[in-house]
Amino acid sequence: MDSDCLSLLPAVCLVLADPKQSPPDDTSLEKLLDWFKELHSQSDGQVLLQHQPCLLEFISSVCMSKTTDPAILSFTLKLTGLLAATTQELHLFDEGGLLVNVFEREAWGVCDLWEDASVRSGWLQGLLNMLKHQQALGFICGNGLIKVILQLQNDRSLFVACLANQLLVHILNFLTSPNMTNGSDVVGSSESSLRPDWVSASSEIMNAVVEALSSEDHPQVLQGLRLLSLVLSKCGEPIISTLWKDVLVPLEVLVNRGSESLIQTLITVLEAALGTPLLSQSEYKVEELLEAMLGDGNRKECFHCAALIVKLEKCPEVLKRKATDIILLPLQCVSTQPQAEKEINVVLKEQLSQKASCISLLMQSLSSLAQLAHTKYLFEDISIHSITSSVLLLLRMCSGHCPTSLLHSNAFTHLIGCCKVQRCGLDTLGALSVYEEILDLRKDIFGVLLDYLQSPDSHATVLKKTFQAVKRWIVCSPFPDLLQFISHDLFPVLEKRMCDLRWEVRDSTLEFITQLTTALNGNSGFTEALHTSGMVSVLLSSLADAEGYVRASAVAAVGEAVTASSHQMVLVSNSKLLDEALVQMMAILSQDTEGFPRRAVVQAFTSWLKGSHLITALELSLSSVLSLGGSDFDWEVKMHTLELAEVLMEKTLTCCPYAVQNFGSSEETRFTQALIKFKNFGLFDLLFNSLFDCDRPVCEKACALLVKLRTLTAETADLDNSLLVLNVCGNRWGDEVQRRYLNKQQAKASVSVTNGVTGSDEGTDCGLHCTKDISLPKILQILDLDDMQRMLTLSSDHVVNSPRSLMEDILSAAQHSEENIVDCY
Amino acid sequence: MPDIKVTPLGAGQDVGRSCILVSIGGKNIMLDCGMHMGYNDDRRFPDFSYITQNGRLTEFLDCVIISHFHLDHCGALPYMSEMVGYDGPIYMTHPTKAICPILLEDFRKITVDKKGETNFFTSQMIKDCMKKVVPLNLHQTVQVDEELEIKAYYAGHVLGAAMVQIKVGSESVVYTGDYNMTPDRHLGAAWIDKCRPDLLISESTYATTIRDSKRCRERDFLKKVHETVERGGKVLIPVFALGRAQELCILLETFWERMNLKAPIYFSTGLTEKANHYYKLFITWTNQKIRKTFVQRNMFEFKHIKAFDRSYADNPGPMVVFATPGMLHAGQSLLIFKKWAGNEKNMVIMPGYCVQGTVGHKILNGQKKLEMEGRATVIIGTLDVKLQVEYMSFSAHADAKGIMQLIRMAEPRNMLLVHGEAKKMEFLKDKIEQEFSISCYMPANGETTSIVTNPSVPVDISLNLLKREMALGGPLPDAKRPRTMHGTLIMKDNSLRLVSPEQALKELGLSEHQLRFTCRVQLHDPHSDNDTLGRIYTHLKSVLKTYSIQHVPDGTVIVESIVIKVTSSAEEPNLKVILLSWSYQDEELGSFLSTLLKKGLPS
Repeated sequence: MDSDCLSLLPAVCLVLADPKQSPPDDTSLEKLLDWFKELHSQSDGQVLLQHQPCLLEFISSVCMSKTTDPAILSFTLKLTGLLAATTQELHLFDEGGLLVNVFEREAWGVCDLWEDASVRSGWLQGLLNMLKHQQALGFICGNGLIKVILQLQNDRSLFVACLANQLLVHILNFLTSPNMTNGSDVVGSSESSLRPDWVSASSEIMNAVVEALSSEDHPQVLQGLRLLSLVLSKCGEPIISTLWKDVLVPLEVLVNRGSESLIQTLITVLEAALGTPLLSQSEYKVEELLEAMLGDGNRKECFHCAALIVKLEKCPEVLKRKATDIILLPLQCVSTQPQAEKEINVVLKEQLSQKASCISLLMQSLSSLAQLAHTKYLFEDISIHSITSSVLLLLRMCSGHCPTSLLHSNAFTHLIGCCKVQRCGLDTLGALSVYEEILDLRKDIFGVLLDYLQSPDSHATVLKKTFQAVKRWIVCSPFPDLLQFISHDLFPVLEKRMCDLRWEVRDSTLEFITQLTTALNGNSGFTEALHTSGMVSVLLSSLADAEGYVRASAVAAVGEAVTASSHQMVLVSNSKLLDEALVQMMAILSQDTEGFPRRAVVQAFTSWLKGSHLITALELSLSSVLSLGGSDFDWEVKMHTLELAEVLMEKTLTCCPYAVQNFGSSEETRFTQALIKFKNFGLFDLLFNSLFDCDRPVCEKACALLVKLRTLTAETADLDNSLLVLNVCGNRWGDEVQRRYLNKQQAKASVSVTNGVTGSDEGTDCGLHCTKDISLPKILQILDLDDMQRMLTLSSDHVVNSPRSLMEDILSAAQHSEENIVDCY
Repeated sequence: MPDIKVTPLGAGQDVGRSCILVSIGGKNIMLDCGMHMGYNDDRRFPDFSYITQNGRLTEFLDCVIISHFHLDHCGALPYMSEMVGYDGPIYMTHPTKAICPILLEDFRKITVDKKGETNFFTSQMIKDCMKKVVPLNLHQTVQVDEELEIKAYYAGHVLGAAMVQIKVGSESVVYTGDYNMTPDRHLGAAWIDKCRPDLLISESTYATTIRDSKRCRERDFLKKVHETVERGGKVLIPVFALGRAQELCILLETFWERMNLKAPIYFSTGLTEKANHYYKLFITWTNQKIRKTFVQRNMFEFKHIKAFDRSYADNPGPMVVFATPGMLHAGQSLLIFKKWAGNEKNMVIMPGYCVQGTVGHKILNGQKKLEMEGRATVIIGTLDVKLQVEYMSFSAHADAKGIMQLIRMAEPRNMLLVHGEAKKMEFLKDKIEQEFSISCYMPANGETTSIVTNPSVPVDISLNLLKREMALGGPLPDAKRPRTMHGTLIMKDNSLRLVSPEQALKELGLSEHQLRFTCRVQLHDPHSDNDTLGRIYTHLKSVLKTYSIQHVPDGTVIVESIVIKVTSSAEEPNLKVILLSWSYQDEELGSFLSTLLKKGLPS
C-alpha cells in the first residue's frame, strides 16, 4: 500500500464514522471499496487489518452508532465482508464479537436502517464478499442468517432480491466445493461428512425453492424460478439433481398452467437445465417439459414458447423442429390462400385478428426465421422457397399491396404501414440471402426492396433496413444483370433519396453507396456506372449538405468512389472526380464547423494513400492536409492526421516501388531525401506540435512516430544534417525544444566546470544555444522521447483515479462546510 | 385491479442518472436513459438486465422517451440502443434531437481518451442511435401505437426540455424530467394542462429548497467577474458546450454592453457557433423576451464574445474565458486553469456540478495543492491553486414551491418523486400528502411502486337502447351527469357495446332462458298439505296487501313470479316442505317470502 494512503486512511475512517458529517460524493464510497478490493486481492488482508487498526475501530464505531447514514452503513457492511474474507481475518473480527454485531439484522431493524434498500444490499454483498472460506459459511449458518437471506430473496427491491439469489447460489455452490466435502456428497449419501447445520442450510434453501414454486403468489414463484435457473447454471452435482427431483412436480404444474407472465422465466429455467446432465436422464423430464411448454400449438402462449425454444442452443433437434413449425405458423397463416385457411388453428386465427397480437406474433415469427437463417438451421421439410415468398408477401402487405385473395383478412389491415413488421421483415429477408435455393426469387426480392426504396411512405428506419437487405442480396448473390439493375433501377432511386428531406435518409443512402462501392471494388462496370449515371456529381453535391453527419458520409462515399476509380485512371472523368473531390474536401477540412466531416476528409486521404495509386496525385494537397489537420481543435482530427502521417512515412521510407527513389544513390541519400520531403510536407511541424498537444492520445501518437523516426536517423550513419535543419523559432514546439536544449547545456556546462573540462566535442555545440536552427537528429536527441513516452503511458485519466486523490477528496469535502448543490450535467 | 408500475433503475432517491421504467395499460415505457459521469466502468450505465435478461429490449419496450439533453438523462442512450440492442422508437423534442448528439460526442471524445476505456459507444453508434429518434413538437399528441399516445409540454430547464404525458386508454402518467417553474434569462417557465393524470412523476432536486431569486445570483456573478477584471485578473468559466454557457454569455454580453467594458470575452472550441446556431434555430423554445427582441437583434449573436485561441491564454491583461469541459477534467478548460491557477488575481467560476476525481471537484472542496499527473507539457508535480474559486449554481430546477405549483396545475391523483435525495424527498412527500391529500411515493432504485387505477372503459350504446331510455321520459344523455342504464354488454371483436337484451339475443343468435331461484322451507304444521297451502295463502294476503295473490286449484299459490307448493312425506306427515321458486327479477320478493315462511305461520 502506498505510504501516503496509509497515512491518510485513519483520518478518512474518522470522517466516515462521524455521524455529524454528511457522507461523501455517492461514488466515493464505491471507489474506496474498489481500492480495498484491489488491495485485498494483492496482499494478505490480515496484514491490512493488523497494520490498520483504524479499520476495525471504524467498523466498530459505525456499528455502535444508531444514527449512521445508510450509505456509510452499507459501505461498512461490504467492507467488513471483504476484510473477513480469510480465516485469520475472520478470527480478528470474531475476537470481540464484532462480526456478529455487524451482521446482526435485528440491530439494523431496530433503528429503521434496514428499511433502506442500500443497507440490505450492503448486508448481502458483505456476506458474499466474506464467503470465501469454511468459517464464513459456519458464521452464516450458525447465526441463522440463511433465513434472512431467504426473506430477502423476495425483497421489494429488484437489486436486493437478485443479490440474495446470488448469495444463495454461492452458498450452495460452496457446500459442494471440494474443499468442503473432500469429494463427498453434500446432500446425498455422505451427508455425515458435513456439519449438520450446513446440511440443514442446503435443505432450507432447496425447500424454499420448492415452496416458492408451489406458491400461489406470483412474485414468489417468479423469484423461485429465478433462483432455480441460477442454481442450474452455476451449481454442480449433486445439488442440481437433488433440487430438480424436488421441484419437478411443482414445475410440471407451472408448465401445464401455461401462465403467460411466467413463460420467459420458465424457458430460462429449462434452458439452464439443457446445459446440465439432467437432459440426458429421461426421469428428469427436461425434454418433456419443453415439449409441454409448446403444447400442440393450440395455446395462445405456445408461440412465445416456440420463439424462445428456437433460440436455445442445446435444444434437442426434435423439439427445435416442432418449435420451428409452430413459430412459422403465423407467417404462413397470414400469407396463405383461403382454401388452406381451414387448417389454421382457431387460437392463431383469433390472435391474428387483433392488431397488437398479430404484429407481435409476426415479429416473433420473422425474428425467429432470421435467427434460424443466420445459423442455417432450417429443416429439409420446410420449404425455404415458400417461406421466402411468405416474407415477400408480408412486406408487400405492409406497403399496402395485397393479393385479392387475402384482402378479406384482418391481418392485411393491421399490417399496412406497420414499421415494426417492415423492419423485422427486411432483416429476415436480408438474412435469407444465404440460401442459394431461392435465387429464382431474386427478381421478386429486388422488386419488393426497390418498392420500399421508392415509396414516399417508407420510414427512415425502414429505409435503412432496406439498404442493408439490398446490400446483402447484392453481395451474396451477384447475378448477370446486376450492373443493369444498379444503373437502371437502383441509382435513380438513390439519387432521389440523397435529396430526401430527412437527414437520416440521406445519410443512410450515402452509407449504403459507400458500402456498395467497397463491396464492388475492382468492378470496372460498376465504376463506369457510377460516372455515367451522374451519381458522382450527386455525391459531390452532397459534400455541401446542411447536416454534418451527411457531409461526413458524403466524404466517405466520394473517397470510396475515388479509390474505385483510381484503378481506371485512364478515364478523363475519373481524374476530374479526384480534382473536384480534392477542392471540396480541402474546403471542408479548413472551414467545416463540425468534426465528423473533417475527420472523414483526413481518413479519406489516409485510405487513398494506402491504396498507392494516388500518391503522386495527392502530393500537392498533402502538406495542406497535414497542416490543417494538425492544427484542428478536434483532437480526433489530429489523431487521424497523425495516422495519415504514419502511412506517409511508411510508404515513403519502406514500400518500394513507391518509395523515394534515386537510382544509383546510396540508402543514406535516399533516406535524407525522404526526410527532406517530409520537411517540405510539414510533417515535422505536425509531429512536434502534436507532441506538446493538450490531449494525451495525440501526444502519445506523435511521440511514437518520433521515436520511430529517431531510430531510423540513428541507424543511418552518414546523414547529412545540414539538409535537415529545422527552424525552432516562433512556434510553440520550438520554444519547448530550445528550453530543454538550454537546460541540457547548462547541466553539461556545470558538469564540465566541476570536472575541469574545457574543450570537448560536445563543447562545440555550446555555441548553438542561441541558434534558431537545429537539425532534426539533434532535436530528436534533445527531447527525452523515451521519458515522455513513459510518462504518457503512465498518465491515465482526465479524472484522477488514484486512491490518494480519492481520500484527499473525501477529507477536503468533510472540511469544506459549504454544500455545493447537486446538479445535473 | 389495473395498475401503473414504476421502477426506477436510476434517479430513485438519488441524483445520479435518470432511467425510469413505467408499465401502464400493458405498455412498457422507459423514461430517460442517463449515464453517471462519476464512474468509468459499467456502473455508469443503468443495468438493463433487470428489464429483460436476454437483452431483447425491442420486444419488451414500447418506446423510450428522453426529457432533455443533459447526459444524466440521455448519456446511456447509444449504449442501450446500439450495444445492448434496441430497435424501437425513441422520442425527444426537436431541439433535444439536435443537441443530444453533440453532448454525447463531446463526452465520448473525453472518455475514449482515457486509458483502458472499453465498452463505450462510438461516433457511428451515436449517429445510428439518433436515426431511431422520432422528434416531438410541443402539445402535439403522438400516437406511438393504437393504444399508446404521448404529448410533450414545455419544461424550461434547458433548451428543448420537455415534460411528457403518457396515455393508454383513460390511464395516464406525466413525467416531468427536470423542469423549472420560473423563467430565466433565455428560457420560459414550465407549463402543463390540468390533465389530472393518475400519476405525476416529478423531479425533486430542490425538494426542500426555496431558492433565492436568480437575479441575486446573477448580480453576484457579474460583480465577481467585474471586480476580477477591474483588478486586471483573468476569469475562467468552465462550461459544457451547451446550456448554461449560453445563459451566462447573454448575461455577460448585456453587462459588457451596459458598462461599456473593454476586457475581451472568449469562448473556446468550435462548438460555440454550433451551439448558438441551435439557439437561433429553436428560438421558439426560448422565452418571450428573446423571441420578441429576435426581430431587432438576435440575442445569440454576441458582439463582445469572440472565439478563443490557445495562444490567447498567455496574453497579458484581464479577460474572461468560457472553456469546455465544465468539470475541469480535460482539454482547454484544464489547460487554461493550469496556466492561471498560480495567480491570486485570477478567478475560476464553476457554474455546475463536478464529479469526484475531477479538478473541478477538488478545488470546489477547497484543495489548494493539486497533484497534476500527466501531460507532456506539464511538469509533473504540485500545482498551487492561488486563484479564487467560486461556485455558482445557475441550475434551473423547480424548488419546493415550484413542485407544489406544478401539482396544482396538473391535479394528479398520485405523486411519485424521483431525482432527489431521500431525506429531502421525505420532507416534500409529507408536505404533498398533507396539502393535496394524495398518495406520494418515492421508490429507491430497483423498487417497484404499483399504483392502482380505476380506468373508465368506453362503451358504445345502441341507438335503440338510447331511444328506449328517452321514451321512458328520462333526461337526455349527458356526459357530465352519470346515470344508470340497463342493457346487455356485448364484448366482441375488440369492442364493447351496450344493447337491449332483445337485440343482444338477436345478434348473437341465442334464445332466451329463464333463470329461477328455488328454496325449500320446512315447517311443522299438523294440517293436510292443502290446508297448509290455504293457511299460507291467507297469511300472505294479510302481509302483502298490495300484491295480487292467487291460490290455483292445482295446489299452488302464486305471487308475481313466485310459485309456492307444499309437500310432506308419509313417514312424517306433520313436517311440511314448502317449495318456493321465483325468477331473478323478483329476487327481492322471493327472499323476503322465504324468510317470512321460515318464521312459521300464525296459529
